[in-house]
Amino acid sequence: MSEAMEKRVLVDLDRCIECGSCAAACYYSHANMPAVSFARAGWALLPMICRQCKAAACVDACPAEAMVRDEFGVVRRGLLRCIGCGSCARACPFGVIPNELGGTPVGCRSPEGLTGHQVAKCDLCEDRTASNPDAVPRCVAACPSGALQFADERAAEELHLQVVGGRSTADHLFKRR
Amino acid sequence: MLGSQQLVKAGSCCTLCPAGCELRQVKVGPDSWRIEPAETGSAGLCPRGSTLGELLAHRKRIFWPAKRQEGRLRQVGMDAALAALIEAAGDRGIIVFFDANLPCEQLARADACCRAWRGARLCLVMEPADRQMLLGAEASGADYLADDALADCDGFVVIGDAFAANPRCSRAVFERRAREPRTPIVAIDAACGTAAKFATHVVQVGAGMEFQALAAVAAAAGVDVELPGVPAAGDLASAQAAGRAVAQCERLGVLLAAEYGRSAAWRQIGYLAGRLATARGGGLACQTVGANVLAALRCSANFETINLADALADTSSVRVAVGCDVVGMLGGAGGEFLAAAAALPNQTTAAAEIVLPLALPVEVGGTVLFSGMQEAEVEPVVAPPAGVPTPAELIGRMAPAAGPSPPGSPSAVCLERLAAEVPGDAASSGPAAAPVLLFARQAAHAGSGALTGHGSWQQAARGPLDLRVSAADAEAMGVSNLAPARVAAEGRSVPVRIRVCQELADGIVVLPGGMPEARALAPCRIDSATRQVVASPVTAAIET
Repeated sequence: MSEAMEKRVLVDLDRCIECGSCAAACYYSHANMPAVSFARAGWALLPMICRQCKAAACVDACPAEAMVRDEFGVVRRGLLRCIGCGSCARACPFGVIPNELGGTPVGCRSPEGLTGHQVAKCDLCEDRTASNPDAVPRCVAACPSGALQFADERAAEELHLQVVGGRSTADHLFKRR
Repeated sequence: MLGSQQLVKAGSCCTLCPAGCELRQVKVGPDSWRIEPAETGSAGLCPRGSTLGELLAHRKRIFWPAKRQEGRLRQVGMDAALAALIEAAGDRGIIVFFDANLPCEQLARADACCRAWRGARLCLVMEPADRQMLLGAEASGADYLADDALADCDGFVVIGDAFAANPRCSRAVFERRAREPRTPIVAIDAACGTAAKFATHVVQVGAGMEFQALAAVAAAAGVDVELPGVPAAGDLASAQAAGRAVAQCERLGVLLAAEYGRSAAWRQIGYLAGRLATARGGGLACQTVGANVLAALRCSANFETINLADALADTSSVRVAVGCDVVGMLGGAGGEFLAAAAALPNQTTAAAEIVLPLALPVEVGGTVLFSGMQEAEVEPVVAPPAGVPTPAELIGRMAPAAGPSPPGSPSAVCLERLAAEVPGDAASSGPAAAPVLLFARQAAHAGSGALTGHGSWQQAARGPLDLRVSAADAEAMGVSNLAPARVAAEGRSVPVRIRVCQELADGIVVLPGGMPEARALAPCRIDSATRQVVASPVTAAIET
């Protein structure tokens, strides 16, 4: 397994300025199928990015075996197999598989929509990170405030970072200061 | 051009804000590109920059000149379009509204062409609030700070939503805070924008009262303001606490974003912010719409240009817009245009009789002055499509079509600091009756969003417009969170969704999204006393 794939996208919520750079970079580089969406918590918008679970509920829930864990350990969606049923989106305990964007199903927007409707899924920008250990996913590279980092999950606590997804949300997240 | 500073080869970089993020071009088809952030590191690229690749081959891109006939635009040749323009202008004067956020060479060439073009006058168009802010900043004598230099500051004052205007400037603030958690971050923003969420001191400020709040902070910090019309510090407790925190700073970074529709006092704010930063050993980071507007302002001192207010007040001349959406920027107050050149449709092209194609900003290279202190030579991402001129080339074709002698060499560009005058009293229009409608910035859009609004992500991710309302106001209005409503002002209205916001001051409602439509609710006007274009806070009506 590539060393890069041991890493995960981590977010520092105390740096996220809700600019949408991560979502836009993901959208434009993944054939308009954004794997980064935003969740609203009170006044704040939070970027929601797949945490690549070791026991991935989306893989178990997929009836078409479109969700698979590949040789790099990344949970991917097979383009030709996905039927857009949304089972993975509903099974995800962290709600990070976006089924719609701005109220419109994202699958319908895909120019590569061979099956007509697909679900967007973060692949950690494997086209970059699998071959280059120093490369980072596009959402991380685009983040202007430094809120997103591509680091080993075990380092999250040391970095005082939260793993994206699975995080309880509450009002006034930024009132900690 | 600066003489003392080195000219940097910057490669291709975004010029929509002072950050100047690197643009990495990826060809994804015979005529399609996308812009990506760098593969390694985290240089940053906001949604505006990400959109630029898609715009190069956008399906709405204007490739051919067109002339309005019977209400519809019909394609014509460039020579025919220019001949129609000259014929329609007749003996009247011509005012060329030229995008100020273009490389210096483009500005100089446009000035040379307009000088040689009989009856033509050049107006460099930038956001009116930005222009006032920069004039004040120049007069203050303060140093300018680039984003990286902000990390060396030990305290910050953020005026307006600077983090949305230039998302990358927030990184330096956070880096400093990570090293020293007690770093004071003072936010002065009546709309409680992004920066206010991260502030250690939020100054409670009323609509259009940013100048008074900043003056109170400066006075509490012990800074001798020496500016006429500065009000007393008064009993603004939040400003006094912020001022005491600022007084401890040895290198203060002041981040300025002149918000649309807030105040007529941006010149005073720019000056005062500069004085405050200088007194505390720091500098200014002016987050303007466009990276090169300060250079344009400095260049205009040596060019033969006219003020935007004077250009708009002149109703006898015909108007030609090149690269700028004057109508959208002014909230629909730009008047009629004979011709408009743009890469993509906007409100000005919709109002023009003749529409001309134009290169996108990323297709034009040249000298850009980033952050007021870093002169860089920016390369175009790609060359413009065949037959699509750069702004200077277009003016160069218009002027000979009118029959003057050909323009000489481009005007000299001087980027030395302006000897701007110390601003006078702040014009006050008085507080508007509650609720006052303010506009907040979006990081997804540059300016009024005329260009970036064509991005498919911007359109897909855009939900209903949220109108932020304080809890007390929502209760008084009888509206609940997420309730549909309409907000009306100045005879226009837009549908919104109510979003109750605990942090917002009573009597203020904020429209944080949809700047292209929102500006129409508070169009600009010409202030007769100062001969400036201003947009002041307006009273809004909430219809449920």
